[in-house]
Order: sequence, then C-alpha cells, then structure tokens
Amino acid sequence: MADYVEPTYAEVNQDVLRAMMETGPKYWATLGTSIAVAGICFFIPWFYQLEVGVGVAGMNRSAVWGTYLSNFIFWIGLSHSGTLLSAVLHITNSSWRKAIYRSAEAMTLFSLITAALFVMVHLGRVWFVHWTVPVPNQMGLWPNFRSPLMFDVMAITTYLTASSIFIYMGSVPDFAAVRDASTGLRRKLYTIFSFGWRGTAKEWHTLGWAYTFFAVLVIPLAVSVHSIVSWDFALSLVPGLHHTVFAPYFVTGAIFSGTAGIVTVMFLLRKYMNFERYIREIHLVNLGKLLVLLSLIWTYINIMEVFTTWFSGSSYELEALEWRLTGFYAPMFWEMVLFCAVVPLLILFKRIRTSWRSMLIISILINIGMISERFIIVATSQPRKFLPNAFGFYFPSAIEISITIGSFAVFTTLFLIFVKWVPAVSLYEVKETLKPLRRSR
Amino acid sequence: MSTNVMGVFEFEDEFIGALRRLKESGFDELTAMSPIPLHEADRILGFGKSPVRRYTLAGTIIGAAMGFAMAVATALTFILPTAGRPIITIPPYLIISYEMTILFGVLFTLLGFHVVSGLPAWRDRIYLPASNVDRFTLVVECAEAEKSMLAENIILESGAEEVSRVEGDR
Repeated sequence: MADYVEPTYAEVNQDVLRAMMETGPKYWATLGTSIAVAGICFFIPWFYQLEVGVGVAGMNRSAVWGTYLSNFIFWIGLSHSGTLLSAVLHITNSSWRKAIYRSAEAMTLFSLITAALFVMVHLGRVWFVHWTVPVPNQMGLWPNFRSPLMFDVMAITTYLTASSIFIYMGSVPDFAAVRDASTGLRRKLYTIFSFGWRGTAKEWHTLGWAYTFFAVLVIPLAVSVHSIVSWDFALSLVPGLHHTVFAPYFVTGAIFSGTAGIVTVMFLLRKYMNFERYIREIHLVNLGKLLVLLSLIWTYINIMEVFTTWFSGSSYELEALEWRLTGFYAPMFWEMVLFCAVVPLLILFKRIRTSWRSMLIISILINIGMISERFIIVATSQPRKFLPNAFGFYFPSAIEISITIGSFAVFTTLFLIFVKWVPAVSLYEVKETLKPLRRSR
Repeated sequence: MSTNVMGVFEFEDEFIGALRRLKESGFDELTAMSPIPLHEADRILGFGKSPVRRYTLAGTIIGAAMGFAMAVATALTFILPTAGRPIITIPPYLIISYEMTILFGVLFTLLGFHVVSGLPAWRDRIYLPASNVDRFTLVVECAEAEKSMLAENIILESGAEEVSRVEGDR
C-alpha cells in the first residue's frame, strides 16, 4: 500500500460522481441480463404459480414450509450486516466504515425487499397479503398479535422503514453534491431529493444528532428482527426447531452472512466502479477479522445446539438430529459446516485475508453455506415431526429452484439501479477520513 | 437595509478562526457552510444538545404506548379464547410494543430533523456549490455599512481567498 496517494476533496467528488453518472455498455449489458434473468427465473414462474396454484411448489402436507421460507430467512439474514454494522461502527466512531457503509446499507434495503417478495411468493394467494397489515379486514377482523407471524410483519415493516430512512438521511448531503454537478431534469430531481441542503453548520449539527439516534434505534431493531424470525420456528413444538438458542443462532448467522455479503459487494464495487482509492485493504482485513470472529461464534452455537439436543434425551429431538446429521440432506449439512466453520479459518492467514480474490471466494462460500443452513432448518424438521407414520419428505420443485435463482437477479437489478441513483461511496464521510484542509498542518 | 458579506476559505483552520473572530466581534447572524461537519463551528455558534432528542424521546414513548394499546384493543375487539390463556397476553404484546417504539422513534427523529434544520427549503438562498466540494463559506448579515466593512476586514485578515457582498436570503 506504499503507493497509495490520498485523494483531495475535489477528487472524491469527481471519482464518486463519475462512477454514478457515467454509464458504459458493460453496465447496460449487466443490467439487461439481470432484468432478463429476474423476469424469466423469478417473475414468470411466480405468475405461473399464481395462475396454477401453490401446488406447483414441492411443499406437501407434512412439509408446509419449503424453499420460499428458507430463502426468506436467508435474505433477511443477508440484510443484517449492512445497517447493523453501519450503525454499530457509527456510534463507536470507527472511521474505516465510511467508505463502505453506503453500499452495505443498500444491501440491507434490497435484501429486505427480496425477502419480502418471498413472503408474497410463499403466501400463494398474494391478494390477501393485506390481512397481515394491522388494519381490520372486510369482516372487521384485526390480525392476531399473539402470532409470531405478526411479530414478523411488525419487525420487518419497521426494519424496512428504519433502514430506508437511515440510508436516505445519510445520503442527503451527497444528493446536494449530485444536484450541484448536474443539469436539467437530473438537477431538478436531486434538488428535491436533497431538501435544499447547503451544508450549513446547523444542518450538519442536526443531521449528526438525528443520524446518531437512527443508529442507536436501528441496532436493537436489527437484533430483534432476526430473533423474531427465529421465533417463527422456535415457538413451534417441532423437534429440531423448538430450541431456546435459536434467537442468538439466527442473529449470529445473519450478521455472519451479511458481513460475507458486504465483502462480495465490496469486491465488485471496487473492481467495476473503480473505487480502488476508497475501498482498500484495511476494509478487507477488518471485515476478514470480523468474519473469523462470527464464524467461531456461529460454530460454538451449532455445537451447543447439537449438544443440548443430545443432552435432552428426547427421542423426538434425537431422531430429528440423527436425520439432519446422517439423512438425505446430511451432505448439505456437512457442506455447511465446511463452508461456515472451516473455510473462514483460512482468513487467519495474512496472505488470504489481504487477497481480494481469496476473500471473494471465501465470502461466496460462506453464503452458500448459509443458504444451506436455512434450507436444512426448514427441510429437515417439519416433514419429520413426532410419529413416523406422519413422516414426509420435501424436495424443492423446478419452480422453487428457478425462483431461488431469480431472487439473486432481483437483488442485483435493484443494486445496479441504486448505484446509478445514489453515490455508492459517501462523499462527506470519506472526506472526513482524509487529512484536514489546514494551512497550519 | 442589511447587507450580506460572504467569505470563501480554502482552509478549515482559517475558516474557524474567522468564525471565532466574527462571533467575538459581536456578529450573531452567521451562516457557516462546509463540505464536512465541523464540531468546532458548532461550539463557536453555540449549538449544544440538539432538540431532535426530544422528538426521539416523544416518538419512542408514543410508539410504545400505541403498540401495546393496539394489541390490547384488537384482542378486546374480537375475543378469541385460546386454551384458557388470558385474552390480554403481556409477553407477545410487549414485542409489538417494542417494534412500535422503534418505528415511532425513527419517524419522530425524522420529523425532528426536518423541523430543527428547517429543511426542506427549496427557495433560493445564498449558496456556493464549491462549499459542498472543497471550500468553506461564511455569510455574515450586517445591519450597518460600518459593520459590513468590519466583517470584510475580519474575513480577509483571517485568510479568505475571496470576499464579496451578496444579495439574497441567508
């Protein structure tokens, strides 16, 4: 890193705004492909399912939850590191967060939207989705707030709202920079988006206070969201799901998965939007250290889950555990252990954690492991609860597999649109990390 | 008729110096614009704890109360006995209340930001786009001509690269 030359304030504006405003054929090709895949793999199969009925999915009588819900948990989990990490690092004054937090928060937002789409896909009759909203339906009935599914609705709605406000408010000064650098319709739009921001001391002071409060409120919210998602499972009596460890297990897994997601996104932004001067080795190393820590916590909780199941002596629990460890989906379970507990330990080697390619591969493997984890939780528990005569089997159908693949394209499309509307690196916060403009320095 | 004197600085320390000297010389109608937040400027201009915090507190209290009240009211609107358990069940309703606490806290903080900062403000005001890039700008409102001269001198002596008189809303 000896050849690193710190950019000037003006160069920060030029670099970031150029990446946002100048669009080459590679971008359009990627966006076009992404939209096409989202349409073909996600929306067309979903419309087909709406037309034919939810029976086209692999879910059956003993397995009423399937890939749609495991994907929902995965995407909610992926959303966790963005806003949560950004908020934690903001209130602890960690300056290295400043170059990466905007894209991490965007990841949160779009993961949440993708997760919310899976709820609608899973519902089958999506036109009844308003029954989950806390307003009386046409029969004058309100939702039952004793249901964990209603906790979910409240938590996710709050998280989506808070995350949107958090990212928007942090972007207001940068919207003003876009306004000042543009003309015509774009200028008019960004004048509205920036609220007429001028960067006065009063505006900065008020934004600083408000932003800190947003951060303080978002941290317990993010923890509550995945705890509540875990209670969708843990509050049932199903063997393999009815565990008190589920809330910390889900929250840790979510932050783990989200941090790996940030590494993936960081690599792509750095490479394809030319942010080498802003997204640097320090970000990779710090996130790498965090990944190792999260991997160790995640591994500990997994061992504890197996131990407490064995220690309980419950035949139902033991049967569920045996099926998970040695049954049809056992290869997936051990693949999860390999990718989430063993592979991250490679980050302990300096050569690995300072290599962008190695870290990209590890981050992708971690998220493959996390998708498997979510799938295993759903697919190995519900179809085999209690009595063997009620045992069933779940395997995702082609429609479900297609929609799963398509969801990545939905996320990518939203992210690609985002980077052309919002500066992907925070201008003013990056400037704060540079040497102050002082005559007397 | 008041006049606005605008000074543009390249360096943060000179900008802060000018701000301090103007304040000490009795100028109270000051607007300081910078590309990054400057805590020293906040101190000189006398910005202490922001009233935004009151909005946040009010939002969280209202949210907590409303969340719990909503869950209780819906349970009482349609009585649904479940295995002899109480109709008003505290633990799950606390979760609803918790989420609403945060939701309203966030929404009221947003409201507080807008009220306290005076944004949105889409009308034309004195503004130099460079102050959102790499320049520090000061605008001083002076009621009398002598005061304008004094302000100009202070700004120039502090190291401003440009001083001018500007028309418009500060």
